[in-house]
Amino acid sequence: MIEIEARKGAASRTARLDAVFAALADPTRRAIIERLSRSEARVTEVAEPFHMSLNAVSKHIRVLEASGVVERHRKGRDHILSINTRSLDEVDGWIERIRRYWEVRLDAMERLLRELKKDHKLGPKDRKHGSR
Amino acid sequence: MVRGDATGPIVQVRRRVRAGAEQIFDLWTKLDLMVRWMSPYPGAVDCKASCDLRPGGAFSLVMSSEESSREVSGTYVEIDRPRKLVFTWIGPLTNNVNTLVTVELDPRGDETDLVLTHERLPTPAIREGHTMGWGHILDHLADAVAKGF
Repeated sequence: MIEIEARKGAASRTARLDAVFAALADPTRRAIIERLSRSEARVTEVAEPFHMSLNAVSKHIRVLEASGVVERHRKGRDHILSINTRSLDEVDGWIERIRRYWEVRLDAMERLLRELKKDHKLGPKDRKHGSR
Repeated sequence: MVRGDATGPIVQVRRRVRAGAEQIFDLWTKLDLMVRWMSPYPGAVDCKASCDLRPGGAFSLVMSSEESSREVSGTYVEIDRPRKLVFTWIGPLTNNVNTLVTVELDPRGDETDLVLTHERLPTPAIREGHTMGWGHILDHLADAVAKGF
């Protein structure tokens, strides 16, 4: 049961990460995030620097919202966009998993080295470690 | 260690290993040795590897259990036995995005200092909720994305 839950958790985390990476894969969307990393902004302010229709920019914004990277709230008649740092923290956790992955792999590499050393214990090269 | 700098977020792991650089290099590049430690899946009953050890040559490591099969693969970029090995790396761990791994070996008497650097990670490293350094991170993302997505 716990294992199934853990697997489900991992699967949905992977799906969320996929959505975040897909959202970040486009230069316009990265420019939008860069703009919002300075401060929250109205949709029209975000769209202003781009040489494309408001409709086209809105499509990019919707992708960012769907991925959870960007959030929208209303202030009177304005739609205000901001970055959801939590979604990015999760990606940061993914980096930490990569570090752990290599730590564990290098542990396994060192275990194998010890095994190989044992196998060659009687070899002439290993007389230095012969007493171990 | 995880850090973000001008070249983007990278992961770096350092080890002092009780073995010679040549032997360690062989563990990374010889098929029969690769399959004995590289598989990260304890459930795997079968681990197959291929490796075409030359710049531009490909390697892959396929681990299968009764339920599933996973593969990590890449291409060798630089082979300088026994000091340095650089290869691209793609697999479930990197969300199937192409990344770059460098293994550097520095002999220290009977031991060897190993430095593993994993970079081109398409990942924004945000520290404590701050959004500083986004410019660099986004530059880096653009690079990773151009190569991998």
